[in-house]
Amino acid sequence: MDQLAQTFSALEEDRVYQIVDECLEKSIAPLLIVNELSRGMEKVGQLFKDDEYALAELIYAGEIFKEAMEKIKPLLLDGESSSAGLVIMGTVAGDIHDLGKNIVITMLECSGFKVIDLGVDVPAKKFVEAIKESGASLIGMSLLLTTAMDSLRNAIMAIEEAGIRNNIKIMIGGAPVSEHLREETGADYLGRDAVEALTIARKVFRQSTVDAR
Amino acid sequence: MKAAERINAVINLECPDRVPLAPLLDHWAATYTGITNAELMSDPDKRFNAVLKTAIDFKWDMSFLADTVNTTLLKLGVPARLKLPGIDLPERSEHQFDEKEVMTEEDFDILESDGLIALFSKLIPRIYPEMTVESAMTDFARASTEITDQAAWLRENGIEPAVGFVIPGPSFEYFCFARSINVALTDLRRRPEKLKIAGKRFCHDMLDLAIASSGQNNIGRVFIGLSRSSPVFLSNKLFEAFVLPDLEVLVNGLMDANITPVFHCDTNWTKFLHYFQRFPKGKCIIELDSFTDIFKAKEILGGHMAIMGDVPSTLLAEGTRDEVMCYCKKLIEEVGGGGGFILSSGCSVPLNAKVDNVRAMSESIDEWG
Repeated sequence: MDQLAQTFSALEEDRVYQIVDECLEKSIAPLLIVNELSRGMEKVGQLFKDDEYALAELIYAGEIFKEAMEKIKPLLLDGESSSAGLVIMGTVAGDIHDLGKNIVITMLECSGFKVIDLGVDVPAKKFVEAIKESGASLIGMSLLLTTAMDSLRNAIMAIEEAGIRNNIKIMIGGAPVSEHLREETGADYLGRDAVEALTIARKVFRQSTVDAR
Repeated sequence: MKAAERINAVINLECPDRVPLAPLLDHWAATYTGITNAELMSDPDKRFNAVLKTAIDFKWDMSFLADTVNTTLLKLGVPARLKLPGIDLPERSEHQFDEKEVMTEEDFDILESDGLIALFSKLIPRIYPEMTVESAMTDFARASTEITDQAAWLRENGIEPAVGFVIPGPSFEYFCFARSINVALTDLRRRPEKLKIAGKRFCHDMLDLAIASSGQNNIGRVFIGLSRSSPVFLSNKLFEAFVLPDLEVLVNGLMDANITPVFHCDTNWTKFLHYFQRFPKGKCIIELDSFTDIFKAKEILGGHMAIMGDVPSTLLAEGTRDEVMCYCKKLIEEVGGGGGFILSSGCSVPLNAKVDNVRAMSESIDEWG
């Protein structure tokens, strides 16, 4: 068990599954195993930040995490899978690129967040509806195309016009996104990569917990 | 100097009479000339007329033949279903790819043993059930003839055609589309040998196609797509194991045929720029899209290969004329100093670029080039 996080961050896939199986055979609490995997993912994120890992490692780690979770999930008790927070994610209208969005979702899920994935080419009103229906505190909007920048503007404007802007924090990310665009649209955060997006999510949910108190 | 001489001087790392101008043209040709993107992608004559008018009006030295929006070439070169303006998307929008896993693990063996055409014949019906590999190859032959004619017409107008063939990239780039990116990235660890062996065959077969096409259309430059093999996606170790060997095969093969490789680098390549020093001096062009630090590229690769770029697409779409002029001046002075530089857009001129901003690139050449 002690080696699980280390083995995970070294991306030794087969060994990770082996340790998970051994832990389950020894009846170690499933939640403890999940926490170790998350610790491993944390280390992967750090190696990414330190430039030792690139997206390939991040995505591969996500795949290992998902497969390991398939083994553990059926054994988690009700309530043990409660999330660190609820996040809505989507690629804005006119753009069907989902790579960046999906990597962010993987990182968030591996760290205990629950994600509502609206998919790609998401119209402004769908973002608005999702916020209203889910009560999420954070929404992530992604884009790759320069021509989709107006869709991002429209989506944020629609959230404002719906009168729900104060209920939600908005993070934006993708190739054409800049600090200038963040300021112009009034988005709260700019995530340059998936690890930054995770940091933002943690910050937002720590903040909402404080607010709730 | 004539445009072709100017471009050749830059490749040879000499100082031409002025910095040549060669933005990467595709969808913006439709925006500027008033045709739809649907027409641009499907009608070769309209596409060429749009390219020619744009290149003449803005006094470009070299122009792409909007190869990157040629439906026939895209369908063959990119193993993902093409969503087309006018059919799947509004007619005045740019195309996109619907990426799904269409290549199986067994297909690596087919590629290795029977080659690229055999792989195409497996993938094409899965991606385009309405198409056969025979019809795709017929379309490719027709497109090749069109490109040959168009290259000659462009030259008659004093403009050099940019590339004679588009190689989608080292095999890993192709597999990222065919297997889907998550699967391709995990393949690197789960089945590395398979990727390497099949990848080698991919490169040799792609090279044969590139050399034959370039020989036919007499354009001595070939585009090599580099996007998902960048340091954003791969660590040094993975790049050295899976991409560099492919690049060496492609580059050496092209050079043996007297063809200049044009490395089309999307995303941030700054960390990997040093790898390009291994290729022979004065024989290549590296094209940057504004995410790579082009000034760092000048430090590392200046005096070794020609650098092309990199007016950002967001600047062309949303900046002012003065901002574009100012950035071009900086490029001309700092990257163009001593020669070896082609002023271009960072990747394609975006569909929503302002005319005044595209004109500002030409004006900057008049002013400081």
